[in-house]
Amino acid sequence: MGRRELRLLESRRLLTLLLAGVFLWSLSSVDWKGPLIHTGGVGAFWNFLSSLFPPDLSPGFLRLALTASWQTLAYAVAGITLAVLIGFPLGVVASGSVPGSPRTGLGLAVAVRFILAAMRSIHELVWAVLFVAAFGLSSLTVILALALPYAGILGRIYSELFSQVPEEPLRSLRASGASPLRVLLYGRLPMALPDLLGYTFYRLECAIRSAAIMSFVGIRGLGFEIQLSLNDLLFGQVWTLLLFMVGMVVVVDLWSTRVRRSLVS
Amino acid sequence: MNFASLNGSHLIAADSISKSYGRVQALAPLSITIGQGERVALAGPSGSGKTTLLYLLAGVIQPDSGDLLLGGQDLTRQKPGKEKAGMVGLIHQQYDLVPHLSVLHNVLAGRLGQWSLFRSLISLVWPQDRHVAEAALAQMGIADKIHERTSHLSGGEQQRVAMARLMLQGSRVILADEPVSSLDPARAEDLLEILTALAGDSGKTLIASIHAPHLMRKHFSRVIGLREGRIEFDIPSEEVTDQVLEKLYNLDQSEPFVWGGGN
Repeated sequence: MGRRELRLLESRRLLTLLLAGVFLWSLSSVDWKGPLIHTGGVGAFWNFLSSLFPPDLSPGFLRLALTASWQTLAYAVAGITLAVLIGFPLGVVASGSVPGSPRTGLGLAVAVRFILAAMRSIHELVWAVLFVAAFGLSSLTVILALALPYAGILGRIYSELFSQVPEEPLRSLRASGASPLRVLLYGRLPMALPDLLGYTFYRLECAIRSAAIMSFVGIRGLGFEIQLSLNDLLFGQVWTLLLFMVGMVVVVDLWSTRVRRSLVS
Repeated sequence: MNFASLNGSHLIAADSISKSYGRVQALAPLSITIGQGERVALAGPSGSGKTTLLYLLAGVIQPDSGDLLLGGQDLTRQKPGKEKAGMVGLIHQQYDLVPHLSVLHNVLAGRLGQWSLFRSLISLVWPQDRHVAEAALAQMGIADKIHERTSHLSGGEQQRVAMARLMLQGSRVILADEPVSSLDPARAEDLLEILTALAGDSGKTLIASIHAPHLMRKHFSRVIGLREGRIEFDIPSEEVTDQVLEKLYNLDQSEPFVWGGGN
C-alpha cells in the first residue's frame, strides 16, 4: 500500500510539472509589446464607471427593471427545479445506490455518468440555440436550455455527495436488513442533505446569471434590458439593472444560509 | 473441548473458522457452538480476535475458511437483508447511528428489513410503528429524547438508541462489541441489566465482549477466553476467577500480573 501511494505521489508531481511547463510555454505566445487596452478604451471604460452615479432610479424604469428581474428569476427557478427533478434520480443511479447486483449497479452508474457528462458538456446558450429552433422564443426554450446542463452538473455533484458520506452508519443500516434504496433514504440522503441543499442554492445563483444571458438568443429578462440600454449608451440604466442582478444573487445567498442553518441546528 | 451448556439446539455452530488481515491472523481456525438463550461473554486482551469473531457471527465479514451455521443456515452465503437481520443484530462499539436523523427515525430504522419501500418512505414524514419505538425507548430509559437530533445525544444515550433499534429489528442473536468500555461502573451495571433483560425476555442469545470478572459472573452464563485468535478457555461464568483472567490478559506469560497493581 505504501508503495502504491508513493507511485501516486510521483505521478501527481509529474502532472504538476507538465502543467507548469504548458503554462510557461503559453506565455511565449503573448504579444508583450503591443498595448493592452486599445486607444480610447480607457476613456470609454471611465465614462461607463462614472455613470454609476447616478444610476437611473426613475419610478418608470425601476418598474421595468423589477419586471425584468422577476422574469429572469422565474426562468432560473423553473430551470433549476426541472434540473433537480432530472438530476436527483440520475445522481442516485450514478452513485450506485440502486437495487440489484453490484455489477448491474456499477454498469448503470457508468452509463448514467456518461449521460450526465454529455448533458453538461453542452453550454446552456448552445442548448438555447437548439431549442429556439425547435420551440421558438418561448419560456419552454429557456427552461429546457437551463435544465439540461444544470441537471448534468447537479446529478454529478449529487452522486459525489452521496458516495462521500461516512460508511459506518450505512453498514449498520444494512445489518438491520435495509436494501440499497432504504439505505439511501435513511442514511445517505439525511447525511448528505445539508451539502445537497447548499450546492443546489449555489447552482440557483448560477442559473440566475445564465437566465440573464439568454438575451443573446433573444429571450426577454434582465440581460435583454441590459443589452437594449447598452445599445442606447444609457449607462445609468445599465447600472440599475446590474444592481438588481447583484441584489437577486445576494438574496438567494442569504436564503441559502438560513435554510442550511436551520438544518444543522 | 468443554462446552458450558449443550442444550441440544445449537443456534450458532462454527466449525474451524479463521480470518486473516493480510499477514496478521486475527482468528486461528476455531470451533464453537452456542445455544438458544445463552449469554456468552467474550474475554481477552486487545487484538485477541473478539471483534473479529463478533463481526464474523454478524456476517459483516466473511471467514477465510471453515463453516458458520446460524439457525442451521450457512451465514457466509447469505446476502444481507430481511432474513439475516431477523437472525443477528450487532451493536457496534461506535454505535454507528445516522447523526442527522432524529432518535425516532434511527430507532425505526430497525424496521427497514420488514417494511416495504413505500412504507419506509412515508415513515420519514408520518412515522410508522411509532408506539413500538416509543416503548423501546421507554425501556431504554430515554423516552424523552425521541424527537432530538441523534448527534445531540451523549455517547451513552446513543448506545441506548442503538439498542432500541435492535429491539425493533427483533433478531434472535444480539451481538455487542465492548458495550461497557466507555461507561462508568454504575452505568455499566445499568446497561448490562437492560441488555440481559432485552435478551432474556424472549429467549434471545446474547454475545458480548466484556472485561470485568464481576460483570461476567453476574450477567453471563458462559465465558469464552480468547488470546491471539485462539480459544484459551470456555467455561461457565461461575468458574471465572480473577486468576483465570489474569493469565488470559497477562502480557508476558512468565510473570504474574496483579490487578490494579502498577507501581
